[in-house]
Amino acid sequence: MQDKMFMRDLARQGALAFKSGRLDRRSFLALCGMAGVATLAVRAGDAEAAANEIVMWNWGGESEKCHGDAIGKPFTAATGIPLKFDTSGPLQGKIKEMVDSGKVTADVCDADGFDAIALGKSGHLEAIDYNIVNKAQIKEGVAWEFGVGVIFYGYAFMYDTQAFGGNAPSGWADFYDTAKFPGKRSLYKWANGSIESALVADGVPKDKVYPCDVPRAIEKIKSIKADSLYWGSGSEAHDMIVNGEVVMGMIWQNRGKAIEERTNGRYKLVMNEAIAMPGAYIVPRGNPAGRDNVMKFIQQALQVDSQLAILDCLGMTPSNPEAFAKIPEAMQPYAINSAMNIDKVIFNDPVWWAEQGGDAVNAFLDAIG
Amino acid sequence: MSSAVQTGRFNVYWLLVAPALLLVLVLYAAPILNVLLLSFADPKPGLGNYYKIVESDTVSRLIFTTIRLCLITTIASVTLGYIVAYAMLHAFSTMRQRMMSILLISFWISVLVRSFAWLMLLGHNGLLNNALMAGGIIAEPLPIMRNEFGVLIGMTEYMIPYAILPLLANMQGIDLRVTSASRSLGASNVQTFFRVFLPLTRPGIVAASLLVFISSLGFYVTPAILGGGKVQMIAEYISVQLLVTVRWGTAAMLATLMLVSVLVLMYVLNRFMRLSTVFGGGPR
Repeated sequence: MQDKMFMRDLARQGALAFKSGRLDRRSFLALCGMAGVATLAVRAGDAEAAANEIVMWNWGGESEKCHGDAIGKPFTAATGIPLKFDTSGPLQGKIKEMVDSGKVTADVCDADGFDAIALGKSGHLEAIDYNIVNKAQIKEGVAWEFGVGVIFYGYAFMYDTQAFGGNAPSGWADFYDTAKFPGKRSLYKWANGSIESALVADGVPKDKVYPCDVPRAIEKIKSIKADSLYWGSGSEAHDMIVNGEVVMGMIWQNRGKAIEERTNGRYKLVMNEAIAMPGAYIVPRGNPAGRDNVMKFIQQALQVDSQLAILDCLGMTPSNPEAFAKIPEAMQPYAINSAMNIDKVIFNDPVWWAEQGGDAVNAFLDAIG
Repeated sequence: MSSAVQTGRFNVYWLLVAPALLLVLVLYAAPILNVLLLSFADPKPGLGNYYKIVESDTVSRLIFTTIRLCLITTIASVTLGYIVAYAMLHAFSTMRQRMMSILLISFWISVLVRSFAWLMLLGHNGLLNNALMAGGIIAEPLPIMRNEFGVLIGMTEYMIPYAILPLLANMQGIDLRVTSASRSLGASNVQTFFRVFLPLTRPGIVAASLLVFISSLGFYVTPAILGGGKVQMIAEYISVQLLVTVRWGTAAMLATLMLVSVLVLMYVLNRFMRLSTVFGGGPR
């Protein structure tokens, strides 16, 4: 989820350097990376939120249209409240900054499960009102006090079908086996999914992955260090695979379908042992539209039609169990919670990530650097 | 501000500068002070964040990598920039103007675009590798990008204009008749260059080196795109600590460290050359 934000930052930095074109300004900006990031964070909201609208803080790109059509349209039809977007990417640090500054301009953030746990604990979020949001329409385990797992996405991997003769890798053990499957691999740069994949490859049973044994995972990752690259954005992950930079690459599963289709199946997605991440809708404390309105919005997002529309548009899998059986045939192989995959995947533990994630990310960065 | 008071006479022109000065203080100094405070206060008060410089292998490695990459970039871009500046100095004026236009255009192209351009040129599936493979010269693509070498190419290319502008400004201030004098006294071209011209450009070299080094410290985009995740510099790490792991204390400490290093280097730079001549820089 870092990716959109990351690209946006890159673009902005590029634009700034381009616009200023003067030495003193440019060098100051470059040197004080900190100040640059802070101004972006301040600018992110643009005070778009007023009383009679819901501002959704998401990651831009297609998600703006998809969220608008899938959730915004039925929500506005039912309540008369329009949906607007802030597409600057609600990273944990930015949400914290927004709430701490007292100028909250977003009502609902398309964030990660571990953000719901961590920011809920630190007092930056509104509690979910389960009188309005229906717990029965949420997959078991992701209806938290301060957030709702509305969709699922996952860290799976793709491989080049022309790279290994008749051999086909079928899980993380193969992904980390450079003797049997020689060539470069790519993993996610900020540790999510990567840590879990290493543990599974090292023989940890799927149900024993959490709490993660980080040193053990790091050892495994170091064993393929010479043969590995790391990506920070979805498009980078995509490029590394289709440009042949790697023979196997970790990727967000919802991108796998497009790659398979565009390359006529040359690159194949392996969903076995994919790490399933709950995508959480969370509400920054003191959100401008008020708690009731935003709870109604979240409730709309959980409805079967909205859930299937998001699956169709973004490839994000429904969380509402009523929608599982209605996942279309063509999406079955790519959806986390489809009958085909639900028992093969590993469900991420957001509580562990909320508590230990910071250390895990830094240990991981240290290992790959 | 205080210097006017110290010398005992109040200069009324300070009043004219005061609004701008105040604005800068509020908009720049206050947030920076905030960062400084954060580095001592988060997660708990004290010097804990600063101990990491010596205690944490990660932080010391990051600092070391950043300094090493910046030094190599500085040497490479000042050397290459010197050659270009020298050529520009001796080119005819129309040619020099053309060279200046090309220089400024490349100078204004965003770092993001340039990084992706390098991937397209020298990447795994890039122009160079494809041509060499089509020509049967290599069997496997050369690993030029997505590693430290790739990052250095990207950084150096970006920094060359920063080296050329102060060097050219310095060279244009040299009375070229001294080189003629040297030749007429029997020195060869090579001797004239190394014993007369090069020493005269020393202030330019120092200014260009410091400028490039200081600017390189903040590289974020280039290592992120061209380094394949394995080349980590301070700026990207600050961003991760700020946004992902939410360790603002660590981020603030590293930002403060960078700021202080830059100020120290600026002070050194100022001793060699008046800052205004460096930053006012190139003839436009």
